[in-house]
Amino acid sequence: MSAFQAGIESNFCTEVNTALRNRDANKLQSILLLEPPFPPVYQQLIDSLKKKFPGNDSTAEKRLEDVVKRLVTEAGEGEDDDGRPIASWSPMVTFLVGWMAFIRDINIENLLETYERLSDLQQKANSALQHPTKGILMLPTVVGYAKVFSRVAIGLDKHPELIQHLVAASVTDEGHRDTLPEKAANVVRQAFIICLNDRNTAPGGIKAGKPDGKKVGIYKMANICLRILFQADKLESCQTIFDNIYNSSPPLSIYPASERVTYLYYLGRWHFAETNFYEAQLALQEAYDHSPSSPSCKSQRRLILIYLIASNILLGRFPSTAIYTLPEAHDLRARFEPLTRAIRRGDLETFRRITDLDLSHEHAAWFIHYRIFYQLGNYCEVYVWRSLFRKVFLLSGQQGATERSAPTIDLHAVLVAFQYFERRAHMTPGMAHADAGPGRRHITFVLQDFTPPPSSGYIDPDFDGVDGLTPYIKTPDILEIESICGSLVMQGFLNGFISHKSKRFAITGARKAGSALLAGFPNIWEVISKRKSQDVHGWRKQALSDTGGGGGVIRLSGARPAGS
Amino acid sequence: MAATTPKKTPVADPKNGEAAPEKKPVAQLEEDDEFEDFPIEDWSEEETQIPGGNTHLWEESWDDDDTNEDFAVQLREELKKLSQK
Repeated sequence: MSAFQAGIESNFCTEVNTALRNRDANKLQSILLLEPPFPPVYQQLIDSLKKKFPGNDSTAEKRLEDVVKRLVTEAGEGEDDDGRPIASWSPMVTFLVGWMAFIRDINIENLLETYERLSDLQQKANSALQHPTKGILMLPTVVGYAKVFSRVAIGLDKHPELIQHLVAASVTDEGHRDTLPEKAANVVRQAFIICLNDRNTAPGGIKAGKPDGKKVGIYKMANICLRILFQADKLESCQTIFDNIYNSSPPLSIYPASERVTYLYYLGRWHFAETNFYEAQLALQEAYDHSPSSPSCKSQRRLILIYLIASNILLGRFPSTAIYTLPEAHDLRARFEPLTRAIRRGDLETFRRITDLDLSHEHAAWFIHYRIFYQLGNYCEVYVWRSLFRKVFLLSGQQGATERSAPTIDLHAVLVAFQYFERRAHMTPGMAHADAGPGRRHITFVLQDFTPPPSSGYIDPDFDGVDGLTPYIKTPDILEIESICGSLVMQGFLNGFISHKSKRFAITGARKAGSALLAGFPNIWEVISKRKSQDVHGWRKQALSDTGGGGGVIRLSGARPAGS
Repeated sequence: MAATTPKKTPVADPKNGEAAPEKKPVAQLEEDDEFEDFPIEDWSEEETQIPGGNTHLWEESWDDDDTNEDFAVQLREELKKLSQK
């Protein structure tokens, strides 16, 4: 069939060719629409395709390809302005044929089929993006398609009944099961890698202070990948994206604010999940500081702030009342303040209630929803210990009998305090209030994730129901308190030494510091921030020294001849 | 990884053989945790300013020296038992 006979198909091809000749990437994107409802002229194209190039005709694709090849001359071999040959761009032809087949066949009623067709088209678009000089014209189209594709993938992930049959069929050789969102992220990742590895750019991928070539798309594509992986709860799959960016991206600071803030939000959350709370705090604080304060961006600011507050609490830095008055912080005080109050006081009982693994506390479901519950429960306990040691010192510590003797804390007094609060934590709030019940359990016992029998003691599940068994109840003992004390000293949160013989903790440096409290109980935030670097994996702050991106510089000056 | 632990529904756990305290309503979770696209692509530093500035957002020194509030009084009573032994 000649191009003339192809009628409206020819018109589209000519339009595309004009956009390519004019190097107008945005025009190209505006032609290659993806989502219904389509304007009338597209409907005519679809009707014509169905009639002349139907999907059930095995020759249709080949015939369409001939039309595209003939009219989209920009996809053929050519020469640039300096007479240098330009390689042909056959993936562009394949993509354009794929696009026409896509709009001809799309049926958005069937989400799974739409996903599969989109995945196929996205891969074809990615291949077209790969052309060293012309590929960049596809960038806006690829970004736009990836956004639609990611929405469909996330939508499907939320309807597992539609994709159940795919799960079993997708086990790899290593036995790893790539879920549908992971596969979708892998498709988008191809485009990300093409942008990252573009060598047809100014040195370092920077031109006049802006990203050059396809590198302009690095964070756009990365953020789409990250959105899919986060929505599908596949944070462990994000690592390679952060590795790649850290190893070969131009600095983040030269990208538009929306891309920077979105990227740092995901990076901060990933570090949080990896328990790198200091790195999380740095990334999230930067994201927060640079997000727009306009009311239209309140939801983004709020999400950043929730993780920023959680990270800071985990580093021993608490939100001020000023934070809680911000519009995006609505309701957050009620969530976080009971926790910080318990840490401040050394109130182990309240802390246990808030972080109880049976999720019975009124805010537990909210903390779980944002995936910050276990981190706060596990890592803040140490700070409660420190505060409780401090409170015991305030109430019963000895300042040292003579000029030369150190202030000390009786570890038996600390033991009494721990036992008192652990005991109360296992009573119902009503009982604890009356301080009546005998229920006693041990710290490590509480951390077991199971439902304790009503007696509050422990019976091994294998023996559950056997008559005449006494539940196992362990209370903190002096050895445990000594061990906790040692752990606090090792972490730098207590300053002094333990006298194992007299079971006392002695504070050192009190006279020099001017007070036993200052000397004995160092500021947690200062202790942690002093030993941390400002470097955050995944956050490229300075330009890399090599050119064109990718590959480290190998210095040969120190190399010795082979065999020497 | 803790962050990916499946969501659980709160379970009432009877302790010490007592009936669980009446269950508080489950926290409102209608908030979406998807980070939406920003409505604009780029903006200036001025557009990120918040009233009062970004300083004083965090308290680094928060130690509680109060020995007269209920919590401390309770603990002091408990510690007294030790010296009476």
